[in-house]
Amino acid sequence: MTLDTPVVLTDLAIAAAILPLLSFLVTGLFAKPGKGAFLAILTIAISFILSAIVFSQTWNRLDIHQQYVWFTIGNTSFYAGILLNNLGSLMLLLVSGIALLVHIYSTAYMKGDAYLHRYWAHLSLFCFSMLSMVIADNLLLIYIFWELVGFSSYLLIGFWFTRDAAVQANKKAFIVNRIGDLGILSGLMIVFTQFGTFDLQQLLGENGLIINAFVQNGEWINGVHTMPAVWLTVAGLGFVLGAIAKSAQFPLHVWLPDAMEGPTAVSSLIHAATMVAAGIFLLARLFPLFNDTVLLVIAITGTLTALMAATIALVQNDIKKVLAYSTISQLGFMMLAIGIGQYSAAIFHLTTHAFFKCLLFLSAGAVIHEMHHVKQVAPVDFDHQDIRNMGGLRKHMPVTFIAMLVASLALIGIPLTSGYLSKDAILISSFEWAALRGSWSKIIPVTALITSWLTAFYTARLFFKVFLGKNRWRILSPEGHIHEAPPAMRYPLVILALCSTFLIFSVNPLLYEDAWLLRGFPAVESLERINIIHTVIPALVNLLAILIIYFAWQQYARRDKTIFTNRGFFYDFAFNKWYIDNLYQAAIIKRVLNLAAFVRGFDRVIVDGMVHLLAKVGQALATLSAWLDTYIVDGLVNGVGILSKSIGNFARNMQTGKLQHYLLITLFIVITFFIVTYFSLAI
Amino acid sequence: MIPFTHFMLVGAILFCIGLYAVLTKRNAIQILIGIEFMINAAIINFVAAGQYDKDRMGGQLFALFAIVMAAAAVAVALAIILKVYQHYKTIDPDKIDQLRN
Amino acid sequence: MTELVFYIFAFLVLLSALLAVTVSGLVRSIFLFFATLFSAAGLYVFALADFIAITQVIVYVGGVLVLMLFAFMLSDKDVLNTLQKMQQKVFGMQHIAALLVAVAFLVVLVTVITKTDAEIPGWMQVSPEKFVQPEDNTANLIGVQVMTRYLLPFELVSVFLMMALVGAAHIARKEPRS
Repeated sequence: MTLDTPVVLTDLAIAAAILPLLSFLVTGLFAKPGKGAFLAILTIAISFILSAIVFSQTWNRLDIHQQYVWFTIGNTSFYAGILLNNLGSLMLLLVSGIALLVHIYSTAYMKGDAYLHRYWAHLSLFCFSMLSMVIADNLLLIYIFWELVGFSSYLLIGFWFTRDAAVQANKKAFIVNRIGDLGILSGLMIVFTQFGTFDLQQLLGENGLIINAFVQNGEWINGVHTMPAVWLTVAGLGFVLGAIAKSAQFPLHVWLPDAMEGPTAVSSLIHAATMVAAGIFLLARLFPLFNDTVLLVIAITGTLTALMAATIALVQNDIKKVLAYSTISQLGFMMLAIGIGQYSAAIFHLTTHAFFKCLLFLSAGAVIHEMHHVKQVAPVDFDHQDIRNMGGLRKHMPVTFIAMLVASLALIGIPLTSGYLSKDAILISSFEWAALRGSWSKIIPVTALITSWLTAFYTARLFFKVFLGKNRWRILSPEGHIHEAPPAMRYPLVILALCSTFLIFSVNPLLYEDAWLLRGFPAVESLERINIIHTVIPALVNLLAILIIYFAWQQYARRDKTIFTNRGFFYDFAFNKWYIDNLYQAAIIKRVLNLAAFVRGFDRVIVDGMVHLLAKVGQALATLSAWLDTYIVDGLVNGVGILSKSIGNFARNMQTGKLQHYLLITLFIVITFFIVTYFSLAI
Repeated sequence: MIPFTHFMLVGAILFCIGLYAVLTKRNAIQILIGIEFMINAAIINFVAAGQYDKDRMGGQLFALFAIVMAAAAVAVALAIILKVYQHYKTIDPDKIDQLRN
Repeated sequence: MTELVFYIFAFLVLLSALLAVTVSGLVRSIFLFFATLFSAAGLYVFALADFIAITQVIVYVGGVLVLMLFAFMLSDKDVLNTLQKMQQKVFGMQHIAALLVAVAFLVVLVTVITKTDAEIPGWMQVSPEKFVQPEDNTANLIGVQVMTRYLLPFELVSVFLMMALVGAAHIARKEPRS
């Protein structure tokens, strides 16, 4: 069998996407409580293998596009199909690979949970949605799977649905994502109105409709259809809004930190490859659609988000919250890359980030897992996710320590890691972009630079507080012991740690331009290569980063005492997450709740009042008719009954069954009749 | 000549006595006796009226027929009473409430 | 003088009938019944119906009474005794009501009878020559009438008697044990 024919590859890709759905259906319908792990891992492993085959056969080759008629409305036929280009097959491989590792990790992490079968079923659904989304060939299918991703993340975030916080978190995630979905829907409608198709290849392929459309005299001209140019911007902003919600960008990032209520394995999957990657993926897919205004919006949003999340991450104490904000920050970098036209850099960073962020989360999960065990023997209750309760775990969990070290270095962007390559790609590109644009646009790369230093600090703080310093948890739980993570958790960490180094991305550990992945995508906006930037920026970033790390080590590892106070405006501002949640609470949620309360009151008093009045009237009528029924109708019936009964009794008493009684009565009647007749005659 | 009215009075009283016996007695034979009283009361009236009809002798002849019939009736009635007694071991008419067992 | 004899007979009829109804004991009432029938036969003589009187004595005293005595003797004595005891005990509603009805009948009858003409009813006085005279041979008269005018009823009665005889014999025969 030859693997390189388009039909075979399409079938393989479809199989890779469908297999988790099979697992979801079988596990969801038939699995006994606690079972389902084998099938889920088996299907995702096969998916991974198939994805690898597909990837090896499609990378840097011609795009494969297979489609079938889905349904027809009037004269318009809708097609459903598979589009395998570099982006799709890379995402396919990335998602299935990360998902496989998370699946394996979950066998140990989720051990003993009562609803494990649900976990596996939902995880499979999640993988199915994401895998299908990345290979779908039209916007409508992408939208459907986009929604499915949102829904399955809702299920997984609220997996521990007995906790109120988890329920609130998955509700929040779902509602915030709805706002983005509104944007996508608007974009979809505008694109369909303009071009009459959802097909990605037709829209974006070689000589695609979008590329051939142009703006002239304030009109967006397609050749067939024309609409005001502002709609191009609106469509772009709509898709950007969707991506902002999905990829947790300012101002719709609020759901992601709360989503930490889900199991840590799920968090890692959401943060690494599936949920948040979907937004970046969508923007990368639709890149040619965006005009300069939209790109600028993307860049500003990304930068702002990166800075905001980094500042918030500085002061968080929950290990998962810190990681969540770092994800938001890194996603901001990716947005920035798209905004400056370097979506290849964005995808590159998405890929490297997927590995090291997954590694960070899984390591954190291992730490939380052990801390949870410590907590169970502790005499007092404490927060087992709080980094202030950790410390000195290096000796107890050496493998996790090394894995986390690699991941943290990658996140900071130290040379020899994958993070260095992709981050440099974004930073340097942004400087080059700013050089092209002029003075004001310099703010963006400078902010990104500051953010990367902040990243260095909060990552170092987290790392040192958890793995170095004093064993603070000993004070809380003197009898607790911390062990290395079980093998099913350890091996994914090792694999991910290897993937977080430069090895699989580039032969040259220092120059991002040598990365094979980056070359897989065309540079949409060619920037003039300014050589000095390529030297100065990495050196500047890394030198200062190392200084910051040393400073953090001084603060948190050696002395276990910090010069920073937990007071002051900036601390409060960051600690309260820039007051965004409070703002939403005051500006939107409260208003909405007030409106809801008013409507509820209206409903209760007026609408219900009318209904109740009707009910009261009906009740009164019913009472009246019941009274009538009881006393008049029934009375009549009963009266007839009683009458006939008493007549019957009277007659019955005569029917004694005694011959002589009958005779007596007969004679009595005869004589009475005779007497009456006689006397009436006589009178 | 005995006045016709006196015969009728005797018959009326006898009839009422028979009636009383029929209504009250608990013994089938005594009821039969009551019936015979009533028949005799009728016969007295027949006979008393018969003396005014020499041509046709209607009264006396019907008295004769009545006696014959009463005798036949008594014969059949007594046969039934015997049979009933064999069957129910009683001749109280109140206790005999079934025509077949 | 003859009238006195009639009233004695009438008195005997009523007295014996009353006693026959009221006395306890079946045998006594049967014999008092016999006395009633015998006295009634005496009354028939005063109605110039000597043949009927003879027939009354032969049929009733010779036939009916004997039959009754047979019936009595064929019955179980214990059953009759308990019946008699019950009879004495029960003197309740049934008796009073029966007495009332009987008295009512009597009153009505007596009222009707006294309303008629004192001596002979009017329709009977049409032809006094047709009255039966004491010297008439009633047997002869009856025989002539039976063989002429009343031949059909006579034959019917004979057939009826036959039926009654056969029926009584059939009813009273012993059932074969199944």
